[in-house]
Formats: sequence, C-alpha cells, structure tokens
Amino acid sequence: MTWLIWQQHKRQAALIGIVLTLFAVAVVVTGIHMTTMYHDAVRACGQNATCTSLDNIFHGYGAIVDTVHMTIALPVLLGALAATFVAGEVERGTHMLAWTQAITRTRWSTAKIATAAAGAVAIGAAVSALVTWWSNSPNALYGNRFEGAQFDTQNLVPIAFCLFAVALGLALSSLIRRTLPAIAATVGIFAAVRILVSVYLRPHYMGTVAVTGPIAGDTHVPSGSWTVSQHFSDAAGHATFLKGPNSCTALSTKEAAFQCLTRSGYRSVTVIHPASQYWHYQIVESILYTVPAALLFVIAYFAITRHDA
Amino acid sequence: MTTSPAVETRGLQKQYGRKRALADCSIGVPTGAVCGVVGANGSGKTTLLKLLCGLLRPTGGEARVCQRQPADERTFLETVGYLGQEVPLYGRWTADEHLRFGAHTNDTWDETMARERLLSLDIPLDQRVQTLSGGMRAQVALALALGKRPSVLLLDEPVAALDPLARREFLASLTAAVADGEVTVLMSSHLLPDLERVCDHLVLLSDGSALVCAEIDELVASHKQVTAPRADAARAARTMSVLSTSTTTRDVSLTVRIDHAIIDPSWRVDDLDLEEIVLAYLGGSSQREQVGTAS
Repeated sequence: MTWLIWQQHKRQAALIGIVLTLFAVAVVVTGIHMTTMYHDAVRACGQNATCTSLDNIFHGYGAIVDTVHMTIALPVLLGALAATFVAGEVERGTHMLAWTQAITRTRWSTAKIATAAAGAVAIGAAVSALVTWWSNSPNALYGNRFEGAQFDTQNLVPIAFCLFAVALGLALSSLIRRTLPAIAATVGIFAAVRILVSVYLRPHYMGTVAVTGPIAGDTHVPSGSWTVSQHFSDAAGHATFLKGPNSCTALSTKEAAFQCLTRSGYRSVTVIHPASQYWHYQIVESILYTVPAALLFVIAYFAITRHDA
Repeated sequence: MTTSPAVETRGLQKQYGRKRALADCSIGVPTGAVCGVVGANGSGKTTLLKLLCGLLRPTGGEARVCQRQPADERTFLETVGYLGQEVPLYGRWTADEHLRFGAHTNDTWDETMARERLLSLDIPLDQRVQTLSGGMRAQVALALALGKRPSVLLLDEPVAALDPLARREFLASLTAAVADGEVTVLMSSHLLPDLERVCDHLVLLSDGSALVCAEIDELVASHKQVTAPRADAARAARTMSVLSTSTTTRDVSLTVRIDHAIIDPSWRVDDLDLEEIVLAYLGGSSQREQVGTAS
C-alpha cells in the first residue's frame, strides 16, 4: 500500500516540496535579515531616543510580509487537493481498478486517510514553524500575534486548520465523487466555518479585560493582547457613545470639550483579551477544529468503504 | 453440470433510489465457461458484473462467486479479476508501473506471466499508457486482471472502443489465456458476433432480469424457426413457446423453443443463428409479457 500511495502522490509531493523549499529559503533569508535589523534598531533607539520611528523599519519588506500572510490560504489549498483524491479516481474509473485488487477497499481508504492526515499535519507544521519563526521580530515590534491573520498563521492553529480542511476535502470527495463540485464545496464550507468561528465563537473562549484610559490621547493597551472593541464610559462606568446633547460637547473647541468630559469622569475603555490568554486560545481553537476533523475522516472512511462504487 | 457453478446468482436485485438496474436475475455459469453477457443498453450488464466483483452491494437476492459472497475481503478479491467499462487505467503510469501495481496489491500475483504476456504482444512497458493505442491499453488492463491468477474473470465491454482488428486480436489473446479451462469468464458486449466467436455460454439480460442463461450450442439447437399456414397460427401459438411472430399473406413464421413443443409434421422447421435467437428474445419480450398477463 505504501508503494501505491507513493506512486499516486509522488508528483504532488514533489511539487509541494519545491514550493515549500522556495518559501523556506525566502523566509529564512529575510527572517535573518529582519531580526538583525530589528535588534540593531532597538539598540540604536535606546541610545538616541528615536524609538517612535521603529514602526517603519520593515516597510521595505512588503513582498515577504504579503507572502507570509498568504499562508492563511494554505489550509484551503490542501483541502482542495484532498477533494480530488477519491473523486478523481471515480471520475477516471480507476477506483474500479484499485478497489478490486486484493488489498481491499478498507485498506485502501485507511491508507488514503492516514496519508492525507499525516500530510496535512506535516505540511501545516512546516509552514507554521517557518511563519512563527519569521514573525518573531514583527511580533515583538507590533505586539500583534494575538490579532487576526497573525493568530491564524502561527503556532498550533494553522496546523489544526490544515487537518480540518483536508478531512473536509476528503469527506466531500468521497461523498460527492465529482472533483469540481467537491473542491467548490470544500472551499465554500471551509471559508464559512472559519468566518463563523472567528467572528462568533473566538471572542468567547475566555473572558475579556477592560483597560481604561484618558478620553483624549492613547490608552496604554498591554502589548501582545487582542483588542476586541473600544468605547467610552461615563462617570458611573456605563458604556456611552458620547452622542447627543451634552454640556461638554456644546463647547466650541475640541480640546475644551475633551477637558470638560475628562473632568466629568468620562473615560476611554478598550476591551481586550490579554496576552496571557494566547496559548489557551491557541489550544481551544485547535481542539475546536481537530475534533470535527477526526469525525470527517470517519465519514470519509464509511463513504468510501460502505457506498457503492 | 454436477459441480456447483463458478458464478451463481439467485433473484439478484440492485436498486438505485427508485431506479431498478437489476430486477430479479438468476444465472449459473459453470467452471471454465466463457460466458457472454448481452442485452440492450441499460439492461443491467454493468450492474451484474459490478455486483459479482463486490464494487456494488445487492439490494436483494444473492450472488456467489466460487461459493463466496462478493465482499471487501482479500480472500474473495483474489479470486476475481475485473476489467471495468471503458478500460480504466492510470493514464500517466507506464504498463510496467501497472504491473508493479498488481504485484503490490495482490499476494497471488504472477509477475512472469503478466510481464511475458505484454512483451509477447509487443506492448512497450516504459511508455505512459495514455499514449498507447486502445488495443494496447485493453491488453495492459487484461494483463493486470489476469496477473493475480483469478478463478473468475469479469470483463465489462472490453472491446467496445476498439477497431475490428484490435477487437479480434484482443479476443484471440483472451481465448488463448483462458484455454486451459481453469478460469471462468463473464464478458459483456453488445457486439454479438464477437461473443459468438469466443463464448460457449450466453446470458441474455433484458430490463434487469436474465431471459436466457445457457450453453450457446444448446441454445442454437433448441431454437428453431417454424413456418406454418396462417390457419394453424392459433394452434401453433398454443403448443409451442413462441418468442416472436411474423406473418405473411399465406404463412406465419414463429421463432420458438422446441423443447416440449408439439410440432406438426406439415410445418417447416429451419435452423436459426445466435443473433436471430437473441433478437427474437429482445424484440419479443414485450409480446410475451402480454401473453403472460392474458393467461
């Protein structure tokens, strides 16, 4: 069976290997350069107090920054590939060849599923490791690894996404048995799940922390936290939007209005998930995708072995 | 035949949703037979062969191949060689890779036989099979099916896409491969002359059930064309099992089964060839149904 798996997937493996190598070279070369530059800049700014200009040091690296962010699409690409596994055989009729040999359809499907799962984890882990390592200095600089695209492409979560997408692709491939519809369904469902989970579930894994600050000027939000929302609160601590007539907002200048509001007890409130929740978040979201992935692999197994060919 | 048949089905059924692909199919094919499976498109030929190799599960009745129920088990799959419709192969693999595929997926694989078979047919082993001719591809697929030394070989329209010469070569090499009589062959086709050339048995499917399952010689011997005067038409229909009827101004011509038939010595009896018999069954099926409901 190992021979058959390798024979069938060696071209895909080679292509993925080449792309992954090119990506690794780009990431390592720029990563080393950017790390050196970051440390030099930090050292320099400590000496001559130019730290406010630090934010711009990676401006020349747009291409690699974009490439690294594009790895957010890796899971869906792997899912689309997995969606061709069974449907492709059925469309070309070669499933009749494979499933009538003495290895049995049961072993065939077990090997396919195991390969898909192992491939998803291996490729996901390799890309995630590269991205996570490369992101060290940007993470340190911007303190944003808990936010959106950074959270989705670093550490454990991207591996779980890859596993889920591949399981989804394989299950839909086995159920639908037509390549293009299987790919379309995989991409559509995966995107929908990702959006729904990140918008409606992710904010609730753990409680938020409110950070208050002056109504004008910057609130000091701790580095590495995820900002969920921002609003104003009145003297009693109730959320308010500073809309409507108010003795302060009637004042002629902005500065005067802000001073008046501050005196009346108004504060700016930033709602965050603190950096200390990061790993808990990574683990919860990873489990949230891994469990359904296991279920989808089981569905794929039964769809291949129990259905008519 | 006293030994139990190599392939046997009893009331075999296959339903896809509301569509009935196989209604009630009962056949028995003895060991060593080369059996043609004929029938119109949609009569259930492909469904029958897929049920016999375990690619499909029956919705009723049962099938036995070498006394085993088709199942996803090594011991069963080893006994069956299957060549699916349109001769599926991995287009980007070479013939050599297909042979290695056979070797890696079957413990019973006979590498020498399969390899020499293709070499003797001058089939390039190192070329992608998608670049080979249809006839060569069919030979690669046949070598793959034969290589695991099956007891039963199931071929679904293996020559449908081939030109007449390639068809003849394929069938000749098939006949040679199974000449020792150890392998039982079931081969579907809509090209009756091809089947007649290589088969000794025939299964005739119509609307998902087997109208005929018999030795071809016996079939030809037991079916005649009887010509009687029109005045005797009613009596002839009563005393013989009639498959089809054609009437001229003076006479009525009947295609009949002559076993148990009472034939008036004044009627003329002519031999029929296999094609005429098959056409009589296929063309006459609706007629016989009417007779059936009337009685």
